Formats: sequence, structure tokens, C-alpha cells
Amino acid sequence: MKAMNVKATDMKEKKTNWAVMVLLILGLSTIAFPLYMTIVIAFKKPSEMTNSISGILSLPKSWSLDNFAEAMRVTDFWHSLSYSLLITVITVVLAIIIHSLMGYVLGRTKAKSKFYSFVYLFIVSGMFVPFAILMMPLAKQTAEMGLANWFGVILLYVVFYMPMNVLLYTGYLVNIPVALEEAARVDGSSTWRTYWQIIFPIMRPMHATVAVLTALAVWNDVMTPLVIMAGSNTNTLPLAQLNFQTQFGANYNLAFASYLLSMIPILIFYIICQKQILNGVTNGAVK
Amino acid sequence: MKNERKRTYLMIALPILALFICFNTVPLIRGVIYSFTNFKGFGSYDWVGLRNYADLFTDARVLKSYLFTFKLAVVTTIVVNVLSLILAMALNSEIRAKSFFRGAYFLPNVLGALVVGYIFNYFFTYILPAFAKMAGIGALEGSILSKEGLAWIGIMIVCAWQAVAMNTIIYISGLQTVPEDVYEAGGLDGATGWNKFRHLTLPLIMPFVTINLVLCGKNFLMVFDQIMALTKGGPAQSTESISYLIYNNGMSGGQFGFQSANAVVFFIVIVAISVAQMKFTSKKEEQL
Amino acid sequence: MKGKMLKCLFLGTACVFAGMSLQGCSSKNSQVTEIEIVQYKPEAASYFDQVEEEFNATHDNIHLTIQSPNDASTILRTRFIREDYPDIIGIGGDINYSYYVDAGILADVSDYAGLQYINQAYLDIDEGLEIVPTDGTFAVPYVANAAGILYNKDIFEEHGWQIPKTWDELITLCEAIRAEGLLPFEFGFKDTWTCLAPWNAMAVGLSPADTAKQVNSGNTTFSVEYRETAEKYMKLIQYGPTDPCAFGYNDACTAFARGESVMYTIGSYAVPQILSVNPDMNIGSFTMPANDVKEGNTLNSGIDLQFCVTAACKNKEAAYEVLDFLLADENIQKYIDAQTAIPCKVGEFELADVLEGMSEDIASGNMKDYQDHYYPSEMAVDAQLQTFVIRKDVDAFLEKFDKDWLRYNRDIIYKVKKYEEEHKN
Repeated sequence: MKAMNVKATDMKEKKTNWAVMVLLILGLSTIAFPLYMTIVIAFKKPSEMTNSISGILSLPKSWSLDNFAEAMRVTDFWHSLSYSLLITVITVVLAIIIHSLMGYVLGRTKAKSKFYSFVYLFIVSGMFVPFAILMMPLAKQTAEMGLANWFGVILLYVVFYMPMNVLLYTGYLVNIPVALEEAARVDGSSTWRTYWQIIFPIMRPMHATVAVLTALAVWNDVMTPLVIMAGSNTNTLPLAQLNFQTQFGANYNLAFASYLLSMIPILIFYIICQKQILNGVTNGAVK
Repeated sequence: MKNERKRTYLMIALPILALFICFNTVPLIRGVIYSFTNFKGFGSYDWVGLRNYADLFTDARVLKSYLFTFKLAVVTTIVVNVLSLILAMALNSEIRAKSFFRGAYFLPNVLGALVVGYIFNYFFTYILPAFAKMAGIGALEGSILSKEGLAWIGIMIVCAWQAVAMNTIIYISGLQTVPEDVYEAGGLDGATGWNKFRHLTLPLIMPFVTINLVLCGKNFLMVFDQIMALTKGGPAQSTESISYLIYNNGMSGGQFGFQSANAVVFFIVIVAISVAQMKFTSKKEEQL
Repeated sequence: MKGKMLKCLFLGTACVFAGMSLQGCSSKNSQVTEIEIVQYKPEAASYFDQVEEEFNATHDNIHLTIQSPNDASTILRTRFIREDYPDIIGIGGDINYSYYVDAGILADVSDYAGLQYINQAYLDIDEGLEIVPTDGTFAVPYVANAAGILYNKDIFEEHGWQIPKTWDELITLCEAIRAEGLLPFEFGFKDTWTCLAPWNAMAVGLSPADTAKQVNSGNTTFSVEYRETAEKYMKLIQYGPTDPCAFGYNDACTAFARGESVMYTIGSYAVPQILSVNPDMNIGSFTMPANDVKEGNTLNSGIDLQFCVTAACKNKEAAYEVLDFLLADENIQKYIDAQTAIPCKVGEFELADVLEGMSEDIASGNMKDYQDHYYPSEMAVDAQLQTFVIRKDVDAFLEKFDKDWLRYNRDIIYKVKKYEEEHKN
């Protein structure tokens, strides 16, 4: 791994860096192996499960899609999926709008203003509040406010991920020169307009990063919907997936099939977003 | 002009701050209030004053969980950042099938905790010992998750395996902000390899190093899922993290008040550390 | 850009609020009483879905909803704090039940007619779980489970081994199994809760049922009451795999199902998991023979599921009607068939074949509750047992048990002391 470090930085030649390629392919084995196990187990029947290595690595007796169909039935897949999608998409959109604005304001002001630098620390430190301490008070508060539903869950996510995303946005802004905004201001553009016309588009790679991280966290989260939506009949995918595991028994085959299915949307989303992360440089606004 | 800017900033910041206070600070304060009670999580409760805090500092189990959590967090943070910086630069260099590799290396982050737990349990319980036997390494012939001294390494490996993906994304987006001409200028000066990284790349992506250190610190200090999936605090209570105690004894058990006190102390400790760390790294950023 | 985005945002928010208000307006027929049950066994969800459907088909005046959520304990706590109480809760007979009674969340159901059909042994168990004696009955026991030793019938038959009745016979049997090159026991101690299965099964035969209460009253200590159990426990685990903490519950079930061990110290609840790996397996069971004399042994059985009407339930009559339906013989039979459970109701029920070896004790009522139903979960007795398995130090284990007990039960002991003082005169 050490040798790669030196090679990897050696970026000036434009032709394919084969040494890095070889190392990347070798590194893939740490991912390919667990993925292989997941897929194989997702196709097996409970009676094919053993504790021997050859047994677990062997291919399933048949490649039938029964487990997937059954997993979809148990989790009420399309219904749960639509709630997961709804919550994730709205959260990500709100996060990009609200957190980038807050990140921008704090990034531009915290160095000079005592008040904003306090606000910055105040918000970022929210990251370290253990969820367990908030859980009970929040369950009560959201119920009192009539927010014990998916919309309440979204609001909470916008607050929970604010510290991380504000940290990301302010960090990114350090590398965006103030001169860009100054120029626009000289032309008479308002701060609000300047933000949407110049800063917001420049931060595209960061938007994509924030989108990926937020989406991933929301997509896999169990506790918030469990606590906030308790008693309503709506399930997100991770909530429905709790079905597969009880203390006295677990159907890993169905569970694995279900996890493979729920992985697909977020993976597609990531692939779309990472192109945006990549495009940042060609946009060329950063100088 | 200046006033207009200030006003806009204030109009943006205040509503967002209000939202944050409403759903983070207010419940936190309510939680802090519970820390002065013997609340079980339901039913009636009595005020116990500072008893929970006094208990906290004499509770060997809590102390042990702090030591374990910080040890795990420090080591994992270092491992993850070194690996993900290397990986980010590799994925950012001139390679074929970039999208494929970026997608593949992202996978660990997407697999659910149940799947990751099952697979790594299997790996540590059956596969690794079998390899150790073949290679004749006696120390590794049993499952490392059942050994008090080694179980934390198993957790570290799984945490790192999952976290590298996220940190790599942040480093990649950081590397995008490094203008090509910096390298071109560096190339003219004859900077290559390690020197180029040390003097050109690293200073420019320093803000992202800070971000990653903070995020890693946060994730691993609050480690919970991996513990539940791999050891459930065992063997012999050697891998009980702070979050594990807060959740299991506070939420599932009847120690809600006491664990609220634990959460408050934990919160203060981390904020103190991260403020110190941010002060330190921001000085570093300026120096570079 | 700005205008468009804001517009979208406003529109979106407006839609969301509109949707919410619609949700709130769903009208209910005022003639019909709503009864909601939240029960904590998700593995029995399909049974309860069926009950719900059948009940609603036959009752016009009551509409029943049964929720079988995962992680019901979190959901119940969240709903309690919101003061959004279900009418009936289905929970186990463990320390949470004690807490709920103590917190005044549950209603007294002693006027419920169906109680007369419930096996007195289980009503007594519930009585014992009350932290301080409380007037009234707060639960209707539904089904129980039992923990002892499961064994592989085919291997037993093949070698002509007999069911051991005393501790010495058990040890002799283990030696015989070992001599054949087989593994006597499978353990899954990596999942700490499984450490409690043999512990509970042995403790009921070796120490009084009310040990925890006696300690709370200051009459004895665990170091005295649990010493024999701890020593025998240590002896028993020597007949398991060399590193019992390396394997989890799932590993142990799989290994036992595959015939890798002859016996497995676990409760009847594990049977469905074992059969999922090996559907044809011939499993038998017997009461843990922990005591040196045959008569001293008792079956370890506790209430797995019981129904409690909450104090907030507005229509107790309707709740009782639902309980009547749940307690109908054919419904209980369906439940015990699906979950390998033991009915708490007296009557002619057909037990699962697996439980045959325990049926004598069940019929005669020779049963005692799990000792761990008195342990507060935050004390983590399961993890302490795991530490004991690794360190093998009986004295240290018992000393810590006593010390931690006082620490984690401070409020309960205070309450008990106060009660005893008040009721002395």
C-alpha cells in the first residue's frame, strides 16, 4: 500500500497508470469476496446453510429468484420502497438548499464575526449529541407538534445532518476565492442573487458529495423512523427489513436477498452523483 | 452594500438556526433534565440530584467503555484516513474504467449492517482461523472476536472497511479543487512523488483532511452498529462502546436517567476535544 | 434560478401539509369500538394477522388492530412517553412487566372471567414478578416456553443412551458421548444472551425461585445461593466446544441441526431455527438434571407471551371480548403449533413432539420461572456469565454479581425496604 502512495501522486503522465491499476484490482478482492458471499447466500435456501467454509462458498443448488420474490413480499417492497424514496429524495433536496446556504453564510463570516463563529461551533458540535439522549424527548415533541409521521422524520434528518453538511460546505468554501463574489457585487448584484448565480453552481462537486453522504445515511437509517413513526402503519425499507431478524431466529437468505435489492437504488444514485463530483474540475470556475 | 450583505446573511442564518435549536437543542436540554432523575424511560420518576453524575465517575464499566471507545476511534481514524487518501489519489489518477472502480470501492458503504455483520462474523470465526492454521500462525487459530485482547481489532477492521468509501469520496471532491496548473508549476520545479504530495497536494486539501478527521472521529467515537453486529460488547465486556452502553442500558434497559448523564458527559468531552482539534488544524492550515 | 427553486420549495411544503391534514381527517364510525393490540413477538405476526382478520369478520361492534412490530420494546416505550397507549399489550413475563406494573401503566384485570381457565402456576409466576406485592392481577398469561436440554434423538437411539435424571447421570452421559468421539454440547456464547439459557435451567433446580427477592430483602446473598449453580455451570461448559465464545446462537443452531453435537442447552424457542436448517431432524427434549437428586429437578418455564390491558384503555369490556377470542382453544392450539409453545390455559392441548420429554413436568406443574426474569437488563448478567466462561473464576463472578446487584437494583431495594417497614406493623 505504501508504494502506491508515491505512484498515485505521480499524475503528470496522461497515459494509463498501470501500476495503480494493478493495485486497485488487487484491492478489489476485499470487496469482491464479501459481495460474492452476499450474492451466493441470497440465492440459497436455509437448509443449504452450513458452518463449513466449503459449504458457505459453494454455489447455490439453483439460481431461483424465490428468495427475492419472498423478500419482496415480506417487506411489502414497493410500498416500503416508495416511502424510503420519498423521505430520501426530499431530505437530500432540502439538505442541499438549506445546508449549502448555511454553510455559505458561516464559511464567509465565521473568521471575522464572533457571533457566527459561535453559531458554527454550536451547529457542528450538534454532531456529537448521541441520538439516544434525543430519542425520547423527540418522540414526545414530534407527537405534540403533530409531526409523528414521515414529514417529521424528514425535518429531523435536515437537522441531524446539518452539522456534517455545514462542515463540508464551509470546508469547501475555503478553496473558493472571495474575489468571485466581489466582482459580481461590483456589478450591483445582491448577495442573495450572487449566491444562487455564482456560488451555488460552483459548489456542484460538494452538492454531489453531500447528496451521496446524506442519501446513504438516510437510506440505511432505522432508528429515526422507528421511533418517530412508531404506531403508524408506514414502513421504510430498513424498518421492514427488521422482519428478518428476531432474537430467536434469523432468515439470512431472505435478508440478504432483500439487502441486495435495496442496495440497487442507492448505488445508481451514487454513480450519477460521482460523475458530478468529477465534473467539478472541468467546470473550471475554481481558479 | 455592506449592510445589505449583513442583512442577507442574518436572514438566512436565523431561521435555519431556529430550526436547529427546535429539533436539536431543545430535546437535548430535555435530555439533560432527565439526567438529574432516576427516570426509567416510562412511568414516574424522582429527582436524584447529581447522583447519576457521581455514579458515572465511579462506574468501572463506564470508564472501561471510554478507554475502549477512544482507543478504537484513534486507531481507526488514522487507518481510515491513510487508506482513503491513498485510494482517492489512485482513483483520481489516470486509470481505465474509473467509474467502475469508483462504484466498486463504494460498495462497502451500501451493504446493510446485518449483511456486513454476518459476513465478517463468518470471516473471523471460520475463514481467518482456517487460513491461520494453514499458515501455521498459532495466535490466530481461534476466532479473534472471542479473545479479549484482539476483538477490538476485528471491529476496527470492519469499521475501516466500511468507512474508507465515504472518506474517499470526500478526498476525491477535495482533489477536484486542486487546479491542474499548480501541478504544472510544480512539475517545472521538478517536484515529484512524495515531495509533490507533501508540498503541493497536501496543503491544498488540508481543509478536507480536517473534515475527514472530524467525521471519522465522530463516527468512531459513536460506534454502535458494528459492535452490535460483531460482538455485542463481548468477549467479557471488552468491546462495550459508550454509545452501546447509552443505547442498551438507557433505551432498552431501565437506566434512562443514568445514561442521559453519561451522554451529557460524553458530549462535553467530545466537544472539548473537537474544539481543540479544530483550533489546532486551522492553525496548521494557515501555516501551510 | 432562485425564484424557481423557492417556488418548488413552497409548492412542496404546501403539498406535504395538505397530505398531513388529510391523514388526520380519516373518519371513524362512532358505533364501533377500536381496540389496538401491540404484541412483541414479530415471529408470530402471521398468526396475529389471521386472528385480527377472523375477529373483525365475526364482530361488528369492535374493530381490532394487532401490531406485531420489530423492536416492540422501543416502540412501546416511545408510545408510553407520548401517552399514546395501545389498549392491550402483549409482552413477556420478565422484568419489564415488573416495571410496567410498578409504573401503574397496566390495569387490574382480576374481574376478567377468563382468568379462571389459566394454569395457576403461571398466575403465581406473575404475582412473583411484582416488585412489591400489589393488589390485583395485571396480566393474562397466554403461552409459555421451556428451557432445558434439546438432544438429537437419532444419535441417542443409535448408542442406546438414556435420558439422565440427575447431575451425576448427566456427567456420566457426557463422558460416554465424549468417549465415542462426539461433542456433548453446542454453545453459542458469542451472542451473550445464550449464556443465560443453561444458567437459568440449572439455577431453578439448585436455588429457590425467589432468590432475587430474598436478596432484595437482605436475607441472603447470591454468593451463597448461586455457588453450586456457578460451579456446575463451569463443569458443564467443559463438555462444549473448546472456545464456546467464538460461536453465535446461529452457528450453534446450525451445528446442532447438522449433528455436530449431541445436545444443546437452549429453550424450546430455538426449535424453529434449528428445523429451518434441517427440517427432518428428530429433536427431543428433557428437563435439565442439575440437582443431585431426581426430585430436586424442576422444569425451567416462564411466560413467553401474556396480554395486559393498559390503564388507559377506555373500554375494558371490549378488551375482554378480544381476550376471550384470543384464548379460544382453537386459537391457542394454532399458536402453539406454529411457535412450539406451551399453553398457559388449562385444557386438552396437543403439545409439539419436541416437548414430549418435558410434558410430565408440564402436566404436574413442576415448573419454575427463569431466574433472569428478575435481573435488570442493564446489569448485563449475560455478559457477566460470558466473562465467567472466559475467566473461569467462581469467586470473582459471584462477588461481582452481589456487588453489581446492589448497584443496579438500588431503587428497587429501597422500595422493597420501605414496603417491608410499612407493612411490619
